[in-house]
Amino acid sequence: MVNNSFDQRGTVNIEIVHKAFSGSKGTLLALKDILLTIDPGEFVCIVGGSGCGKTTLLRIIAGLETEYEGAVFLDGKQLLGTGLDRGVVFQEHRLLSWLTVHDNVGFGLAGLPREECSRDIRHYIGLVGLDQFEYEYPHQLSGGMSQRVAIARALAGRPEVLLLDEPFASLDALTRMRMQQEILRIWEAERTTVALVTHDIEEAVYLADRVVIMSPQPGTIRNILPVPLSRPRDRTDEEFVRVRKSIHEELFAPDGMTSPAADSF
Amino acid sequence: MSTAEQNRRLVWKGAAAELTAKPPDKIRRIFIPDRLLGWIIPVSVLLAWELLARLGMLPPNWLPAPTVVGKTIYQLAVAGDLFKHAGVTIARVAVGFLLGASAGTLFGGVTGYLPVARKLLDPTLQALRSVPSIAWVPLFLLWLGIQETSKITLIALGAFFPVYLNLSVAMRHVDPKLLEVGKLYRLSSFQMVRRLILPAALPEYIVGLRSGLGLAWMFVVAAELLGASSGIGYLMVDGEMTGRASIILASVILFAIFGKTTDWIMNAVGRGLLGHRSR
Repeated sequence: MVNNSFDQRGTVNIEIVHKAFSGSKGTLLALKDILLTIDPGEFVCIVGGSGCGKTTLLRIIAGLETEYEGAVFLDGKQLLGTGLDRGVVFQEHRLLSWLTVHDNVGFGLAGLPREECSRDIRHYIGLVGLDQFEYEYPHQLSGGMSQRVAIARALAGRPEVLLLDEPFASLDALTRMRMQQEILRIWEAERTTVALVTHDIEEAVYLADRVVIMSPQPGTIRNILPVPLSRPRDRTDEEFVRVRKSIHEELFAPDGMTSPAADSF
Repeated sequence: MSTAEQNRRLVWKGAAAELTAKPPDKIRRIFIPDRLLGWIIPVSVLLAWELLARLGMLPPNWLPAPTVVGKTIYQLAVAGDLFKHAGVTIARVAVGFLLGASAGTLFGGVTGYLPVARKLLDPTLQALRSVPSIAWVPLFLLWLGIQETSKITLIALGAFFPVYLNLSVAMRHVDPKLLEVGKLYRLSSFQMVRRLILPAALPEYIVGLRSGLGLAWMFVVAAELLGASSGIGYLMVDGEMTGRASIILASVILFAIFGKTTDWIMNAVGRGLLGHRSR
């Protein structure tokens, strides 16, 4: 499954030995011995309870956390800091309230020729289905629409990897399901590598080629399960439920998370 | 519950609703719409004042009738004094406010962006701020003389602090989550300030400018009362010296008009700058 010839771009190699946060109450070991390769064009979901370091892992790949032992490679090149080769979507949309949808999407493209920029921006606004809203401001948009703009912004730099940190967690259930379909459609159109962090097992099974299951204290990879289902997937399908159940069991197994309530940290 | 009791309750409920809901409606229909409500007191006071003055029940040299004050303003305008003095006062406010607000912007910007600068400068500036600005007047007069420099310095000082404080705090409190977006796109420090920090801090900066302008008007009165040969504050002193209350009242009204007008202009400029954000 691992494709090490870099003729297709977007291979992520993660080799994190150790990542700790030191605070006033001492140091917290956030991640330990994370070895993971994400193939070009692959959709990987990272699931785990709160405090398992899944967001930290994503932030390391994004280049927002740089103090750690180990290395992350994109197409064989070590990643140091942030870059346009990775697009990031956060749980909150993080749009700039003083810019239109158009300017928010183009925020990272400053410096490129204006004409070309505008065309790219329109393309991505169209891709997330917001053509009608190009010159609206964020406060005029709903939560789901704002998150679409955030996705368009992340894609506008033509990244090789799209990193999503619980992007739909703050949306209502119906909007979330629609956005899950949307992100699959966008992924199929763009064919970028995608890593999506979530605590929603169903979301992971619905979206991912492989599900990375993490356990806390310290954050480690507990198991990696492939999802052998063709798309579009049916959430009520027997096989879907079976995969979902196996991930659930893996997450709550005796030496994994002690219990769903034990993540009070 | 029996049907009779139910009916009784319904009747009671209906009566209660009538009691609570109807009277305000009636009052509103009898009297005037909400937006005119605020005019009732000032208009009545003015009418009563005018009436009492005309009946000779108020000493005219202490409290002249509103129409007399209006006439005084008209006479000042006809004689050209009004424009001369108003021009001087407005010029002082404009220069003092521009200097103070510019310095406030500079210091606020530097301390808002650089933590080192804040640690270095903020304690001193906060200590200076806790001195009531009028207390500087004797020193300014001693150092800078009784001419324009001391007045403008005082006005600038008044305008400085709100601008400084609002900008500095607003820049410091820009959501770190937005700054991370800038980091993702590898913005330089300069771009970070120009494209993220300043736009995010703009609403509070405008609030600072507005209160700075308000204080500039306050301090021009102080400066002109304490020693001036022109300006609306001088008119007030002149009115006091010559025992003409109508001139003092006319000056008070002029200050109110100018203060309100410039605040309105500043507000309009702010709305323009904020665009859709001011809504």
